[in-house]
Amino acid sequence: MWSRRRLVRYLVSADLKKKGADTLLGNVWWVLDPLLQMLVYVVLVSIIFARPQPDYPLFIFAAILPWKWFTSSIQDSISSVTSQERLIKQLQFPKIVLPTAAAGAGVVNFGFGLVALAGLLLLFYRDRVTVELLLIPAIAVVQLAFTLALALAASAVNVFYRDIGNLARHALRLWFYLSPSLWGAAQLEQLAASHPTMATIAQLNPFYILFTAYRDVIYFGRAPNWTSLIALLGVSLGLIGLAIFFFKRLEPSFAKVL
Amino acid sequence: MAIDVRGLGVRYSLRFTRKTTLHRSFIRLLRRGEGQTTFWALSDVTFKLEQGESLAVIGPNGAGKSTLLQVLAGIILPSAGSIDVRGAVSSLLTLGAGFDQELTGRENIRLAGAFMGMDRRDVDQRMEAIVAFADIGEFIDAPIKTYSTGMRARLGFAIATSVDPDILLLDEVLATGDQLFREKSKARVLELVRAAKAIVLVTHDMNWVTEYCNRAVLLEKGRIVLEGDPADVVALHQEHTARLKAEKAAELERQMAGKAVPAPPRPG
Repeated sequence: MWSRRRLVRYLVSADLKKKGADTLLGNVWWVLDPLLQMLVYVVLVSIIFARPQPDYPLFIFAAILPWKWFTSSIQDSISSVTSQERLIKQLQFPKIVLPTAAAGAGVVNFGFGLVALAGLLLLFYRDRVTVELLLIPAIAVVQLAFTLALALAASAVNVFYRDIGNLARHALRLWFYLSPSLWGAAQLEQLAASHPTMATIAQLNPFYILFTAYRDVIYFGRAPNWTSLIALLGVSLGLIGLAIFFFKRLEPSFAKVL
Repeated sequence: MAIDVRGLGVRYSLRFTRKTTLHRSFIRLLRRGEGQTTFWALSDVTFKLEQGESLAVIGPNGAGKSTLLQVLAGIILPSAGSIDVRGAVSSLLTLGAGFDQELTGRENIRLAGAFMGMDRRDVDQRMEAIVAFADIGEFIDAPIKTYSTGMRARLGFAIATSVDPDILLLDEVLATGDQLFREKSKARVLELVRAAKAIVLVTHDMNWVTEYCNRAVLLEKGRIVLEGDPADVVALHQEHTARLKAEKAAELERQMAGKAVPAPPRPG
């Protein structure tokens, strides 16, 4: 994979060019998109629960920001191999560059999300601007590792089962609601009192760790739980190894199935 | 020896095709054991190619010709037998497969180079030659989506033939572009044919086979029917094609006749 890093870089820049060229406002939408989604949830949750957290928009945004990045990376990488069908049937090259590039291009989505975050903080939540915000990239590295592992596996499976994309859409939505996106650690503590096992399972969710960490640095202005982040990084690196192995096992059949 | 193929077989699984979904697999699981699950696209294919030889692969559609080239290019692994290919292989299968519509011609040349595993210096060195050969003027700096089909084929051909491989695999590349470009590309292919150490070519152009190849194989239903002198192989292929045509015509006639017997009821 390393020897083809130039290829990955070209594919990433081609992908970004495509996405920017598709829509008139291009990049503006990338900034607005997470903000609009935040607005929807704020309205929804305010109506249903009537008494949300203080500064609830920022509370939710801390989860939407990484989630948008995650879902767009996964969805793009799922189709990354199947969309290059003609090339795969005609040229021998390491197919693993395709999902890697798709996951890499997704990072830009996160970059634009950070612009939105900066705007939100400076305009409405100046008192929440802290030095801890500088820790966001460290959390992002952990997320990237986890995303890459999933992206590699999903892109390979999609060659054999073309409806993985449909399945993923629903699975991802469910995953979002089951993770502390709209709710927080406080609600989980309540759950732990009545159903301790369920609470433990919820805490093993990688996005429990990630959302909590992002929220710690963005919303609470405190250091994240490094122990769980490092543990997640370790697990993710292991999963990447596993995913590469899995991908390489399936790779020889790609040209036949496509 | 450039290529040594022994008892080569390629099996396709019909369980997984481009249309497979979880949904379908589930349905199939319910009605277990129905129908054929595998299909041999090639079986027991054996041949050798010495350096300096040029081998034509001919046969009807679906005979496994393109599959054979894919195996030689390392795109598909054999299910049975063995292949030994010595030297750098370049496959000019259908051209322009990896083009990205949003990128310019030049950017696509770099992308294609990276896909083919060339390093940056190699690509830079060949850039001007490729641009000159494609001869599409200012369009070289415009996105591919603005190209005509002919321009796309020219650029694809120019990129694909810019490498100097030991072993060249050609699949129907002689029929691209307009008349003028076809002449030019024919000349370029001949140049490559002379420079390459060995060539395997799939074509329907029988003149080319007898004129420029020194050996030929006839593939039918994944098996080698005849291997040898191009003239003999072409003759047998043409004989089989003619017979097939006659059979089809007879079949069609029978069907027509069969339909004619129970005359459709006429209104009134």
